[in-house]
Amino acid sequence: MTLIILLLGLGVGVLVGLLGIGGGVVLVPALVYLLGMDQHLAQGTSLFILLPPIGLGALIEYWKQSRVDLRAGILCALGMLLGAFGGSLVALPMPSRHLQGLFGCFLMVSAILLWRKAQPGHGPTVAEGESAHG
Amino acid sequence: MDKGIGRDAGIFLIACVCGIASGMFGIGGGVLLVPLLVLLFSFSQHRAQGTSLVALIPPTGALALVAYAREGFVSWKTGLLLIPGVFVGGILGGRLAEKLKPQRMRQVFAGILFALGTWQAFSAWWR
Repeated sequence: MTLIILLLGLGVGVLVGLLGIGGGVVLVPALVYLLGMDQHLAQGTSLFILLPPIGLGALIEYWKQSRVDLRAGILCALGMLLGAFGGSLVALPMPSRHLQGLFGCFLMVSAILLWRKAQPGHGPTVAEGESAHG
Repeated sequence: MDKGIGRDAGIFLIACVCGIASGMFGIGGGVLLVPLLVLLFSFSQHRAQGTSLVALIPPTGALALVAYAREGFVSWKTGLLLIPGVFVGGILGGRLAEKLKPQRMRQVFAGILFALGTWQAFSAWWR
């Protein structure tokens, strides 16, 4: 079991670096389905994992390629600190079942957003992007 | 999108929304932040991802974590076991991101995410 958890962490970490996300979005369902956790417990544990700067190694790789907007990043951190507290106040009194369902809906919306921005955006590069991969 | 105060305020607002999702669903919020930075503030994909990682360095979920811990909704042991893997994996992923075409990867990930979401919603409401 310990090995599974360690490997799960590694897999989630690769996504963190690859996509610049926190990883919680994969961790929570993994904890629910692989380890049989309740939705609230999975979410609390995921928040705990996100507490230390787990993305620091990945960030340094991006920093070396100067692909970081520090000012925007700091603003985002501030907003998320406040927002996260508000969000937890909404989620905690909710029944686990509904929270799990809402989480599912949230994943679907995120997936659509991710897919959308994956399409080559506005501008003249559309044709080039389309034909880049067959 | 014009630079300056308006842009800063916009980014801050978007981050608040991502934060609410973060606290509600126990996630980092990057999964929402990255596409929104690209779609609304015309960041390049790599720049949005790097910026999202900055936002994830400080313990933005700390207040939310305290609220969850107070209700006993944290498995400390599992969390401690997961942290080293996520850190090492993050470095590998960051290196991989400069070599891979992120376009394809992201679409595959979006597909997996959609399937996961459908599964979660179904198992919660149509059991």
